[in-house]
Amino acid sequence: MSKLNETDIQGFVLRGYNFPLARYMFLHLADDDRAGQFLDRLLPSITTGEHWDDGKPDSTVNIAFTHKGLRRLRLPAASLLSFPVEFLEGMQARSAVLGDTGRNAPERWESIWREERVNAWLGVNAMSEQALESCCADMLRIMEETGGASVVGWQDAAALKVDGQLTTKEHFGFTDGFGNPDYLGFERSTQPGQGKLMPDGSWAPLATGELLLGYADEGGELPVAPIPHLLANNGTFMVYRKLHQNVAAFRRYLEEKGRQYVGGKEKLAAKLVGRWRDGTPVELSPDSPDPAIVMDKKRNVNFTFGNDNAGTRCPIGAHVRRTNPRDAFGFEGRLTNRRRITRRGLPYGPYAPEGAEVRDDEERGVAFMVLNANLARQFEFVQQQWIEYGNDSHLGNEKDPLLGNRDEGGSFLIQGTEDPKNPPFLCGALPGFVELRGGDYFFIPGMTALKMMSTGTVDPR
Amino acid sequence: MPNESGSVYGLTILSPIIDDPHARISHDLQLRMHLGALPRGEDSPFAKVSSTHMARLTVMNDVVYVGMPACEEHLQSQYLVFESNFDGDLDTYLRRMATEIPDHVDSVWSHCIGYPGAGDVAAFESYMKKCQLTTTFYFADVNDKTVQQTLRALQTQAAVASFIERNQGKPAAELQNAFTKFLGKLRAAPDPRPGSGKDQSI
Amino acid sequence: MTNITGKTYAMNAITPMKPWKTWILRGFFFLLGHIKPLQADLVNLSFIHFARWVVIRRDSFPRLSAAQPAEDLQYDYLLFFSNFNGTWNQYIDAFSAVLGKGLNLVWFWSEKYPGAVPVTPFKQYIARVQFETDFYYTAYPHATTNDVKAAHRVQQALDTLADGSGNTSPAEFEQAYVRFLVSVQRDLGSTGLAPIGV
Ligand code: HEM
Repeated sequence: MSKLNETDIQGFVLRGYNFPLARYMFLHLADDDRAGQFLDRLLPSITTGEHWDDGKPDSTVNIAFTHKGLRRLRLPAASLLSFPVEFLEGMQARSAVLGDTGRNAPERWESIWREERVNAWLGVNAMSEQALESCCADMLRIMEETGGASVVGWQDAAALKVDGQLTTKEHFGFTDGFGNPDYLGFERSTQPGQGKLMPDGSWAPLATGELLLGYADEGGELPVAPIPHLLANNGTFMVYRKLHQNVAAFRRYLEEKGRQYVGGKEKLAAKLVGRWRDGTPVELSPDSPDPAIVMDKKRNVNFTFGNDNAGTRCPIGAHVRRTNPRDAFGFEGRLTNRRRITRRGLPYGPYAPEGAEVRDDEERGVAFMVLNANLARQFEFVQQQWIEYGNDSHLGNEKDPLLGNRDEGGSFLIQGTEDPKNPPFLCGALPGFVELRGGDYFFIPGMTALKMMSTGTVDPR
Repeated sequence: MPNESGSVYGLTILSPIIDDPHARISHDLQLRMHLGALPRGEDSPFAKVSSTHMARLTVMNDVVYVGMPACEEHLQSQYLVFESNFDGDLDTYLRRMATEIPDHVDSVWSHCIGYPGAGDVAAFESYMKKCQLTTTFYFADVNDKTVQQTLRALQTQAAVASFIERNQGKPAAELQNAFTKFLGKLRAAPDPRPGSGKDQSI
Repeated sequence: MTNITGKTYAMNAITPMKPWKTWILRGFFFLLGHIKPLQADLVNLSFIHFARWVVIRRDSFPRLSAAQPAEDLQYDYLLFFSNFNGTWNQYIDAFSAVLGKGLNLVWFWSEKYPGAVPVTPFKQYIARVQFETDFYYTAYPHATTNDVKAAHRVQQALDTLADGSGNTSPAEFEQAYVRFLVSVQRDLGSTGLAPIGV
């Protein structure tokens, strides 16, 4: 494994920036040379994975393209056709595969996603309002001066302020941002629990090719990637999904079922997600939150399900057990290692304090992004098989209790024991807590590729 | 017997398809069209031969050339493949096919060489056995339950889940009462229909 | 799509083998049939209802009349039929990830078999030797083999509870009911439609 060239990789891929503010601008590109000119002018502003020796910058800029966007940038036909089919099709065309039907169907999406006018995602993260506005103004100037791109929509997102404090909470009140895979060659010191499980019980980083194109993956080959290599290398694919959260429905459900469930409302919430609201993994501490675990990097993501096959600690259908089953399917976790995804994103909409009046039609949710080398094998698989279906965990057609796309109510079983303090409990009549408002699939090229794209020098084969 | 696993039998049949140079539409194509239009759910002919867990019919029109340095070769005949997984023994199964769905069987196998018709059950059985291949290795995940037991169990499972939900938190006496009623209803429910993919609500 | 009925996919594959290798393969299958642990992985993966391998000698294709031309082949053939749950990609990914060694022992004797790892050439090979299913029936289209096994466990637990519930007091019944709940609580997922293949 050679060392990664961090200055060729967009920074957003290598690290979650942990900035409090973001604006994701959705661009329509000009159908001529001006699109390349715009990209060329933009290049110096793009944030790479370079070291921040002088401290964090005030803002960051990153860019990604839909397949339509790449066409507008005049990539050679051989390259355009060599992209994986799911990227070529885009997220809307994949709605049947993803279970984005009914209330999540494209007909219900915001118009910019329905009309598929989005060619590029321009992500700006910032430390302050002022930095955000000034950076975005710079971007708009480049667009205007080159005439190569225009903004067709944007999404503001921000870390939630709870009691005046910036947090990493999402709207349902859970602390987020724990589970994300470690990859070989990445700077970040590895945390036990983040990579893949080894036969001796230790954890090792995942192969780089599970995230970045051009490196070996867990299957011992290079990820499927567009030609030529230079176009693909150090790039990755991104899913953007605007996920609306029905906070009122969620709170109402917890209140109602929390009264029936012996463990009460907070334990019920913890069982749905697999973490207590403060982030304590339920698997490690099933009866109460434990701040000491949350603070301890050696413990807060370090758990397995192999000794809890019955799900009496962390329910088999809990959100984190579904989306990262670790060793739950046996075979030393080998059925999980090629289904890992890296999560990015921030909430949008103001936090509604507990007890305050809250309505489901208020703009509130998460601008959810996933990075992975192979959209079909990683994101789409997790979404289709583990969130919208249950067969791998022997749960039949049961869906993720938090995310399942449902109109008519579903159920979620909290496994328990004969101890009256921890009985089995069936959560029936689940409403849809989360709804999809739109999004698409993007390619995040490396810096060399961006340069080639902006100057029209991708080898046409 | 390599064709069996527990109480399940794995039948593999390769029936050569008639090659008639004068046919306006060749028999393999006629077969494909016919097979493509056969109902697959509870109206399927195999739902009537109710010991069938799973069955498929397809035209194998040739062997496959896998490329250099392997050599290219081709079949002289095309074959109808019948793969079935059913309860019980072969003779009973073939007899059921011949007597319970004779028209369907005729409309499929009449495209095959030497087919005697389902009307003569003994001739039919001996024809099918001539076309039978012995399985080299057979795997059946559940090999001790009949189709009817499985359909019942699936119905029970769905009913139990909804019973649990409806009666969660009820006092003991009420729960016991409800259970007795539930059990009566469940046992009185008619057998679920093979191929329907639905469980009746109890 | 014709290969799919409900939650189950019908796969057919045919691969050529040099005749002398057929005997080795038969030997392997003999072992597989008689050494249970070899089958354990198939059972643990738990996404195949029924599967079979059929070796057909080059001179033993059924011939029903003198008018039917005899086959004139150099290779024996290995036929594979599987009734599996999940999508095509999922099935082959899982095979490659955890059953690679076992599969290699089965298909190693077939011409041009690339090995089960890495998965891309393996998938290309399967795609080449697979042929489609024209008609496919299952008696329980709404159930995977996991669903079937779970349902039988529920049935058994229910029968046990019912047998013991004749003359019990409500309190005793409640206790038995909790035991019943705990014993079936992993087996209650509903049946229904499967997600579609990609
Ligand atoms: C509004 C939507 C969502 C909410 C509120 C939500 C909430 C959470 C929470 C509270 C956690 C635990 C904290 C952590 O481990 O970082 C978590 C973890 C996770 N979620 Fe979600 N999530 C949402 C959507 C999704 C979607 C759509 C996916 C996948 C497609 C997903 C995949 C994951 C993964 C992979 C983890 C980490 C599991 C681990 O590594 O242990 N989430 N989510």
